[in-house]
Amino acid sequence: MKKYLGFLVSVVVLGFALSQFTNSYIQAIFISFLVNAIMALSLNFITGLADQFSLGHAGLMAIGAYTAAVFNKEFMGDNWVMIPVGVLFAAIVAAIAGYLISLPSFRLKGDYLAIVTLGMSEIVRVVLLNWDHVGGPRGYNAIQKFPDFYLSFGFGIFLLTVTFMVMYRLKFSWFGRNLWAINEDDIAAEVMGLNVPQTKRRAFVISSFFAGLGGGFYAHHLGYISPGSFTFLISVQILIAAVLGGLGSLSGSIIAALILTFLPEALRSLPTGVDIRMIIFPILLILMMILRPQGIMGRKELSLSAIIGRLKR
Amino acid sequence: MQEFLQHTLNGLSFGSIYALVALGYTMVYGILSMINFAHSEIYMMGAFAAFYLARFLGLDTPSPMNFTIGLLGGTLIAGIIGFFVEKFAYKPLRNSPKMNVLITAIGVSILFQFGGQIIFGADPKRFPNLIEDQTLFTVIDIQVHLIDVLIYFVSFVSLAVLSFVIYHTQTGRAMRAVSTRPDMTPLMGINNSKIVSTTFMIGSMLAGVAAVLVSIKYPKIDPMMGVKIGTSSFVAAVFGGIGSLHGAVVGGFLLGLGEYYVNGYGGSTYKEAVSFAILILILLYKPTGLFGSTRKEKI
Repeated sequence: MKKYLGFLVSVVVLGFALSQFTNSYIQAIFISFLVNAIMALSLNFITGLADQFSLGHAGLMAIGAYTAAVFNKEFMGDNWVMIPVGVLFAAIVAAIAGYLISLPSFRLKGDYLAIVTLGMSEIVRVVLLNWDHVGGPRGYNAIQKFPDFYLSFGFGIFLLTVTFMVMYRLKFSWFGRNLWAINEDDIAAEVMGLNVPQTKRRAFVISSFFAGLGGGFYAHHLGYISPGSFTFLISVQILIAAVLGGLGSLSGSIIAALILTFLPEALRSLPTGVDIRMIIFPILLILMMILRPQGIMGRKELSLSAIIGRLKR
Repeated sequence: MQEFLQHTLNGLSFGSIYALVALGYTMVYGILSMINFAHSEIYMMGAFAAFYLARFLGLDTPSPMNFTIGLLGGTLIAGIIGFFVEKFAYKPLRNSPKMNVLITAIGVSILFQFGGQIIFGADPKRFPNLIEDQTLFTVIDIQVHLIDVLIYFVSFVSLAVLSFVIYHTQTGRAMRAVSTRPDMTPLMGINNSKIVSTTFMIGSMLAGVAAVLVSIKYPKIDPMMGVKIGTSSFVAAVFGGIGSLHGAVVGGFLLGLGEYYVNGYGGSTYKEAVSFAILILILLYKPTGLFGSTRKEKI
């Protein structure tokens, strides 16, 4: 109980500090950090824990974002109070989509899975581009936003906490151990009596659910989405966050999302005319793969008691 | 009928381009079992190499000589770039898990795309007119252009040279050996890493040939030009059975024809999705493609 109280107090202090001492620009970046962290966690669950390489998370995010936006506007009376319901609904739709994608995909292995998920995400994008009812290439406009920063911050932190806690508990459950076994050697796991395709499918559905959650929150944070917001590059950015933090480390993903959201903003003033992130990220990615392939955290989790224990020694 | 023939002609001409690029994917996959995402960027670099070579040497008048210089220059530079990409990005990862190599390949690809936007500028450039395009002859109201004939001819020659190298030289024999049993070849006195470098160079040179030909036909080049053609060619390679050289060529032609028919008879807005939809269908019903062999995984 004490632990949760401490967490709650620090969140309230953080929210208060952000709203009092920073401007709306920093606040908006912080909210997009929350989105990035949810997406990185979602990808890390399938790619880090189960070693199934997905390049299609932008597509799942797009499904979540469009569902949340359209649902809120057309069925919930365009009202910000109903945003959480819409985001939950979006996550469920994304999970169903993830299930449909996973049905055929896990007959394939390794690289092919990456290609199929990439293909699915491109197909989602092209369909959205041609779907006039949701705006087509013009995008979907005037989505309800939260009226003030506190609500937006609180909801975002809530979503991130739920995502993290669910994944954390799953990681150290029997299900997580199953994923771990598949990660190490799926043939051996199958020999031990594990239903490998089913386990992979379940992991993918859970991952899709949280990708949809992140997408729905993203739509309501920005208030405008278009098919151009969910390209292959977005999938790659999510991947970079997961890899940088350490595949298999959930807290690592959050740290990496924090770095990758704030670092490019600090570099925005450089006069290049091109998105400087897309130069730094790939270099970071290549160097990371060559020098420290396990990422910042490896598979370990950040733990306060371990840090305190090390300091005491 | 006439329309159909025109689409067929265009489809075949683009199909031979796809075949050239798909060969690069399939050769690298055959020898390293990795998807070289950066291949489409080497294609782009080939076009830019020819562009800057032409500007540097002042080749702005159309003539067969200039065409040959541009083609050979672009090809050679693309090969060199492929060699260095392999040396600096992939070689340090030779013994790491497959996923790490794949992630690196994506990194290299994006670095080239956006680095290209900084170095060359993001706006499209006009490729110099290296050869005068003219209608050679007309059969049943179909105009046969010189550039299309050149595309057929150059692709055919490249394929013939490739086939000679792979099936009739020592290096080619070594390449085939490394792709079958990379663990045994060092015992036979083959330097694996040299063979891998050679494979990358040959694949990149084919991409360079394709890039110069396409740039002459559609003289607008920009740093993102590789994405579309890279995707389609990759699909062609998987369609034919990745790792199989014949498969890549057949897959390239079939995909070129398919895309032009879909494009010609409506549905051009869904063009981007078509190749992926084909890909997913192939992977679902025949994951090995047309000519691919099934390799049983051993424990």
